[in-house]
Amino acid sequence: MPLLALEGIRVLEVTDGIAGPYCAKMLADLGAEVMKIERLDAVSMTQRQWAGERVETSLTVEDTALFLHLNTNKKSVAVDLESADGQSLFRKLATQSSIVVESLAPGRMESLGLSYNSLKDLNPSLVMTSVTPYGQTGPYKDYQYTELTVFATGGGMHREGIPERHPLKYGGEIAQYFAGTAAASATMGASVGALMTGQGDWLDVSIMECMAGHPHQIGRRAPFAYNGELDPRREPRTSAAGGREPYAVGTFQCKDGHVSFLPLGPRMWPNIARMIGKTELMDDPRFNSPELRTDNRIELEAIFQEWLDRHTRAEVFEATNNAGIPGGPVLTPTDVMNDEHFQERGFFRELEHPEHGALSYPGVPFGFSEVDDVPGHAAPALGEHTVEALSQILGMDEAKIGSLREAGIVS
Amino acid sequence: MNSENKKRPLAGVRALELAEIWAGPYCGALLGDMGAEIVKVESIQRISRGAINPRPGSPGYPDGDPGERPWNRSANFNVLNRNKQGITLDLTSARGVEIFKELAAVSDVVFCNSAFGVMEKFGLGYEELRQVKQDLIVLFMPGYGNTGPYKGIRSMGMSIDAISGHSSLRGYPDLGLHRLSPVHHPDAVGGVTAAFAVCAAIHNRARTGKGQFIDMSQAEAFVPHLGEIFLEYGLTGQPRERRGNRHPAMAPHGAYPCRGEDAWVAISVRSEREWRELCQIIGSTQMSDDPRFKTLESRLENVDALDDAISKWTSERDHRRVADLLQAHGIPAGPVLDCDGDTYDDPHLQQRDYFQTVTHPDAGTHLLSGPMWKSASAPQPRHEPAPSLGQHNNQVLEEVLGFTSDEMQSLEQTKVIGTVPLEGSDLGGVRRVQRGN
Repeated sequence: MPLLALEGIRVLEVTDGIAGPYCAKMLADLGAEVMKIERLDAVSMTQRQWAGERVETSLTVEDTALFLHLNTNKKSVAVDLESADGQSLFRKLATQSSIVVESLAPGRMESLGLSYNSLKDLNPSLVMTSVTPYGQTGPYKDYQYTELTVFATGGGMHREGIPERHPLKYGGEIAQYFAGTAAASATMGASVGALMTGQGDWLDVSIMECMAGHPHQIGRRAPFAYNGELDPRREPRTSAAGGREPYAVGTFQCKDGHVSFLPLGPRMWPNIARMIGKTELMDDPRFNSPELRTDNRIELEAIFQEWLDRHTRAEVFEATNNAGIPGGPVLTPTDVMNDEHFQERGFFRELEHPEHGALSYPGVPFGFSEVDDVPGHAAPALGEHTVEALSQILGMDEAKIGSLREAGIVS
Repeated sequence: MNSENKKRPLAGVRALELAEIWAGPYCGALLGDMGAEIVKVESIQRISRGAINPRPGSPGYPDGDPGERPWNRSANFNVLNRNKQGITLDLTSARGVEIFKELAAVSDVVFCNSAFGVMEKFGLGYEELRQVKQDLIVLFMPGYGNTGPYKGIRSMGMSIDAISGHSSLRGYPDLGLHRLSPVHHPDAVGGVTAAFAVCAAIHNRARTGKGQFIDMSQAEAFVPHLGEIFLEYGLTGQPRERRGNRHPAMAPHGAYPCRGEDAWVAISVRSEREWRELCQIIGSTQMSDDPRFKTLESRLENVDALDDAISKWTSERDHRRVADLLQAHGIPAGPVLDCDGDTYDDPHLQQRDYFQTVTHPDAGTHLLSGPMWKSASAPQPRHEPAPSLGQHNNQVLEEVLGFTSDEMQSLEQTKVIGTVPLEGSDLGGVRRVQRGN
């Protein structure tokens, strides 16, 4: 009886970048055996993290951090997929795997003799997930990308920021992670189908389409489809629909930092007045209707700000919670790691890496009641599990493995 | 179930959805895309489909007309709730809870994105549900999870964005954080992550026969999307600075103005080869010879002047043309598409049949957004119209649970079920929250 949620599911990963590795990481963090198939010559973590032009101007520390994060709980098998012998090894491994996650340029797997159609003949229940910036077909399929350019094309960027300036990307590598998460959902759904029917699938996941299909994006596009309504960049205090109750919405400075609020319209007004200890405002002729509060926003916000100036993030957080207003302190990543809630849930976990030592890693986003948590180990060294894969899965003896190594097929 | 749907990977899975706003409904939409039968449980006592009496001309309705049944015509609701059946049940009544349990007994999954404790208050916590069906999969996804000091705290995408660390990394670096625009992206991450967790639990159940309670925190679903920033801090002891659109190892790297109103192109130059090619495309020997722009280091030092020079060239050109031209030379570039007409006009999405024509009985026919991925073997993920309020009461309660028409009538009379919201059931601001994301 498997003790981990995805125990016994073998996954082959042939990726670079973020979306593909993050998809496979989600499977690994639930106990799947993920074998990251790596290039023999990708020695530095930058080379293991990125391919092509991106390597030239990369950032050693950031790439190391990315690689460490994206490859927890995985195994590394170094195989030269350019060689016929390496391709044959991959095919043999694929017959004994449930899932392939790949992020090579469209058509590249096929040119290596590793297309879905050829692998499916060997293993009909195989699920292959291809995660690329623009998908396997269409005029952009060979387009190059960075987080910035694919986020822009996916529609996430145009309304971020303020009207008088250029549109903004989010912080971090958000589109790629989002697509990786979507790819993991698609992979897991298709794997359920494969388990039930014996029939696998090939999933074409495009980062651009994941962003275009993002719930907020489709939610913005719907009023356009229904009624031609546009959704441009706005002033931050222009709340939600833009119209009414635009005060106490957004991010504000307080005594020791910033806090964010999202009160839900007029029914929250009394809670806000009580929260700042000014119940008399409820009867104030300047503020006693949604229209007046909107018209006199600047005055109201000055009163609100005066309260904020006297309170810390923690005090404001407590006050919003008591008032039932969704709000929260703006935490830096360092704050998050030290936050009592994340600590009590044991979310961050320390993993030891032979080269980089003990570091605190973000953990798994959910707990399953009836299976064990995956113990967790740091990213593997290049080729750390090559021998294990060849001997235990393919039954090769030492001499055979030695000759493959000498021929430069594996390492 | 039509025959096409039988070929989808989650065919035969029934899930009960108790979900509002973004994260929960999106989880249900994705499971529905993959062929699961999603029964969305709402009530006529609490309407999260926009205002029940919006003024004519209110935003977000077909042709600006809320119509006679505005709750069935909300743009947001209808796109977020594709591929579902809709029933109503008053879960504050004993009969409503009883019926929910009868449905749970013939379902595989129950998921809910309400605040912590809501389901327990109805008497529908995991322990109660498990009594009804031993191998049920139950996922509750409050903002901060079902344990820990913040478990009872109300959240929205924006507050999760703040608490996860992302807000502190956003915005224009030269402006204070009070100028941040609201971002609710953690809703989206929560929905997609929940769909993954549910599928993993179904897969596990098929192999072990075991159900599962899944405690999911939307904040914890999002924090790993910033994972390298936490590890970078561990490696260097230096917190990440805000970057805006810029990048410490790529220049140019930004959104540049193009011809037309509020039109922009995003460009990233990753290598010296790409920089030389860009200079050639622009045809400016002045730029390639300029000592301020010779190396990555010098371009980063003079990044304002660099951006000015690029902007001067882009501002006379069309955003799609610039992107195509640069991409022809292997340089990452893309038009900054707005989520309105720009996206509909995009040739790539068009050629990939991204948009689907959807006819909703109360809202009419529109070209709406497609699913997030494509499948080679199963039929393409579908986009069935969202259910109108209580649309499938008969289908579900009569066909699945075998209720008689007398029973149905009595349920309607006692307002346990219905298709028209009761006075005062309007959640007011919720619709505005939806529109603004």
